[in-house]
Amino acid sequence: MAREFTRRLGRVRRELTGVWRVFRRNKLAVVGLYILLFFLALAVASPFYAAREPMYEPLTGYDPEILGSHPPSLKHPLGTDFLGRDILGQIMKGSQLAFAVGIIAALTSVVIGTLIGLISGYFGGLVDSVLMRMTDIVLTLPSIPLLIIIGAAIGKQSIWIIVVIIGALGWPSTARVVRSQTLSLKKRPFVDAARVAGSGHSRVVLHHIAPNVLPLAFLYMTFLVTWAILTEAGLSFIGLGDSSQVSWGMMLQWCFTSGHTFRAWYWILPPGLSISLLTLAFYLIGRGLDEVVNPRLQER
Amino acid sequence: MTFWHYLGRKLFQLALTTLIIVTLIFFLFRVMPGDPVKTIIDPQMPPEARAQLRAQFGLDKPPVVQYLIFLKNAARGNWGVSFFQQEPVFRIIMRKLPNTLLLFTSAVVLAYLIGVPIGKRIAWKRGTPTEAVVTFVGIFFYTTFLPWLALIMIWLFAYKGIPLPWGGVLQLPLRGMMTPEIWSDPAASALTKGLDVAVHLLLPLFVLVLIFFARFMLLMRSSMLDTLEEDYIVTARAKGLEDRVIMNRHAARNAMLPVVTAMALSLAFSLNGGVLTEKVFSWPGLGTELIDAVMKNDYPLAQAAFIFLAVIVLVANLIADILYIFLDPRIGFES
Repeated sequence: MAREFTRRLGRVRRELTGVWRVFRRNKLAVVGLYILLFFLALAVASPFYAAREPMYEPLTGYDPEILGSHPPSLKHPLGTDFLGRDILGQIMKGSQLAFAVGIIAALTSVVIGTLIGLISGYFGGLVDSVLMRMTDIVLTLPSIPLLIIIGAAIGKQSIWIIVVIIGALGWPSTARVVRSQTLSLKKRPFVDAARVAGSGHSRVVLHHIAPNVLPLAFLYMTFLVTWAILTEAGLSFIGLGDSSQVSWGMMLQWCFTSGHTFRAWYWILPPGLSISLLTLAFYLIGRGLDEVVNPRLQER
Repeated sequence: MTFWHYLGRKLFQLALTTLIIVTLIFFLFRVMPGDPVKTIIDPQMPPEARAQLRAQFGLDKPPVVQYLIFLKNAARGNWGVSFFQQEPVFRIIMRKLPNTLLLFTSAVVLAYLIGVPIGKRIAWKRGTPTEAVVTFVGIFFYTTFLPWLALIMIWLFAYKGIPLPWGGVLQLPLRGMMTPEIWSDPAASALTKGLDVAVHLLLPLFVLVLIFFARFMLLMRSSMLDTLEEDYIVTARAKGLEDRVIMNRHAARNAMLPVVTAMALSLAFSLNGGVLTEKVFSWPGLGTELIDAVMKNDYPLAQAAFIFLAVIVLVANLIADILYIFLDPRIGFES
């Protein structure tokens, strides 16, 4: 048992080393990784930063000596917002939230997309036609207007409901890719072998085909994270977000509605820059992983 | 199959998709908790007028009948009355539609005209520092948070203004689409009015193009790299043709085809950015109307604005499909 485990661990490590060797060659992807680590560090440090004094609490804390928006100082390295709340603390908290938003939404999309892609590709025929037609329709729906109109219908919601809806709209790209991969996989001999050996449809799909499409699905996840973070920020910015959470989009909305847009550079620059850099990081990493998964791209 | 058959089938698909979207929106607003009447009839209306509207929209009937009445009204252009503006929704939409089309189409076309040639050249120069820098800059803007970039641009070019080398300050309009003084002045010529709109268009257009050109650039780059490996490019080189001729006449023409298809798929995406841009710049289009209507719980207007935005994407897709056939004679009408 233990030996089996070490053997598997060794294989995983060898594979990861191989992935890293290819990934490392793409300089832009490595830059993306560093940006990602930077924001991860901010997210991890957030509770420690906030715990020092009550006024550093990102949502409820405020500096009783300032009580308004103030440029950077030693006490508040990025200044304060209109209520005297610490902007650096909000950025750190926002980083936590951005990772959560991006990853939860992207996971939702990848799970739905993979399931639809697998079913569509494996069963073919009418099921395939119906599912792919559906995919095309969702793909042509402009997602931000759709989320705005859903917001109008269901009213103000918690950020996690918004995130799951974002995720529920992002699956078509994954579904298409997984479908075409499944189409080619199901003709391979090992699938026939499994079927002859008596495996049912669900076993063939889940044990033999799914493990082979997962790397591709995860590749798409990085791009979906970019999309989800930008979408959530957009909704928060126009005032349809969850104002009980400190997200970067919400910070911009506060800055905009309190009339500080053109007066407080220390307030408007950091949240927008953070959104842009973190989404850039996920995108660059996605491109790097693309080269690992599609070796054809490597010479480029 | 002839072209007309193909077009007919595409139009049928478009109508079907529109119907699905309209149905989706109809039931989205009906399944919500609470009285659906409040999403159709202004709660501030006098009781007699409400009773009349209730009958007109069939709100006392079962949902399926309501749905059919809704479809019939929609087809006739009766989309209800805006709660807030007290004007038929259809009239408001028709007034805003051209503004959205102006901003959206000019942005997509300009992004295409800029992105494709750059993509072509960086594919030709693959592996050079130029390629890396241009790619990075493109991706940087592509993943930039658009409303924020828009605010920064407004700050720089409209609020503060850019000092000109020959004195004075270049200051673009802050918001909106036209200067009221110019448009209400009976003496103003059509040219003055047109220039006024063009000046207002400059900044939102700049932001949208900055965000979108990379999409076309990256698509063109990878499509071009595929094409450059084809045998006929080797032949062209062997014939001793100039680089420029090979790049433009032989490679780029074929590489452009997948970009057109991909463009169709990215239109929905560009409209996302378009809606946010409209709002930040207070551009009087469907996107601003949608957001404002949602903020004021003006449901009939919000529904209609969304449906029209979705139809714009569908029509744009159709245009791209047709364009593709004319660009590539090898493609039949079967696909």
